Amino acid sequence: MAVQRRAVRPRFVLLLLVLTAITLLTLDERGTGSHVIDRVRGDARDAFAPVRDATDSVLQPVGNFFEGVIHYGDLKAENARLREQNQSLRGQASQAQDAIRERQALLDQLDLTYVGDIPKVRSRIVSTAASNFELSVEIDRGTSNGVAKGMPVVSGAGLVGRVVEVSHHRATVLLLTDPTFSVGVRLSSSQDVGVANGEGSRSPMDVDLISRDTKVSKDEVVVTSGLQQSVFPPGIPVGKVVDAHTPPGALQQNVTIDPVVDLQRLEFVTVLQWSPKS
Amino acid sequence: MTARLRVPLVLLLVLMVQKSVLEDIHVHDVRPDALLLLAVCAGLVGGAEVGAVVGFAAGLLADMFVLAPLGLSAMVFALVGFAVGALQAGLLRAAWWIPPATALVACSMGVLLYGVLGAVVGQTQFVRPQLLTTAILVALMDAALAIPLVRVTGWALGPREKRVYPR
Repeated sequence: MAVQRRAVRPRFVLLLLVLTAITLLTLDERGTGSHVIDRVRGDARDAFAPVRDATDSVLQPVGNFFEGVIHYGDLKAENARLREQNQSLRGQASQAQDAIRERQALLDQLDLTYVGDIPKVRSRIVSTAASNFELSVEIDRGTSNGVAKGMPVVSGAGLVGRVVEVSHHRATVLLLTDPTFSVGVRLSSSQDVGVANGEGSRSPMDVDLISRDTKVSKDEVVVTSGLQQSVFPPGIPVGKVVDAHTPPGALQQNVTIDPVVDLQRLEFVTVLQWSPKS
Repeated sequence: MTARLRVPLVLLLVLMVQKSVLEDIHVHDVRPDALLLLAVCAGLVGGAEVGAVVGFAAGLLADMFVLAPLGLSAMVFALVGFAVGALQAGLLRAAWWIPPATALVACSMGVLLYGVLGAVVGQTQFVRPQLLTTAILVALMDAALAIPLVRVTGWALGPREKRVYPR
């Protein structure tokens, strides 16, 4: 009897755990307890933030070491390339001071000109995606800095993504390459509008709804459309056209774009305190 | 220190390592999943019930930091921990290669199950052409971490006469 009870108990425990998980999933999906769940998640992220900052400084060198081991081949090639680059840069050293000053002046002029007078919150990326199933980054600004859910996130080059989760001191930004990300876009030459969709980190974005009669040229810049109810302000660079063709019998073109922002090397981003006009 | 204190401590420690070190280690944008591996190790060391409970707790912790619905990782990790624990009961002897081999199979199954169950609860983007590659890469990286983590899990769960691992 006791042996039979011992054999049944693990299954009963598993059943209880699965039912608890299903309850949590239902509450989260239906939105019944979503504010409570959001709060719990936000508090967990806030509580973990200082722990992460502290452990980062201790464990980061270990991570860097393993990253170096895994990407040894890439590092070796990059090292050779950098040595070569260094040689040529040495020759230009005498002109460097003047070039740096000129470059800085240009950067100051170009500093997010497409954003206009929208208030901004500058932030640092503290963590990459916590899951292999999403493309997101965590930034070191939250509601206490004026960041809210849905706000657009940009860098000097263009659109990075939008804020999807926010706590007091942290926010999660969904990157534009995530498969769930969509943004209304406008082609810079024809002014035709379409919808760009993320297709994964190493895949270009697809742009839907571009008419087959529209002339689309390679390297053409695509910007946010900012149409009514759009979640992004107009004119933010999104990507450059990689390819455009019309399959036989199709009513629209297959347009693909590469994001203008190098998402692999992001360190700082800017949150735009902007919300769509109702 | 009792197992009731050591297990939460190990859970937090694994979370810290995942967030601080393992998130920066990626092959084709795929990172190891130490919390899933912890569920596997708990099943291997403690049996089906322990595997399910530790897996659920590890999954719930993982759920706090992702955008997917709360409870998805908890359910998947609990199922994986239970399955490993149930199969572990049939083991007659310990061998050094059993934890990495178990991690290889269980973690790949865990990632696939996460993708499929995610699609069932509305995250249809989880089932994608790269899912199999993701599962294989996570499994390979987790298998490499299995031997040290099975030892840490053994310490956390404490001594038990019939326990096969760790040796």
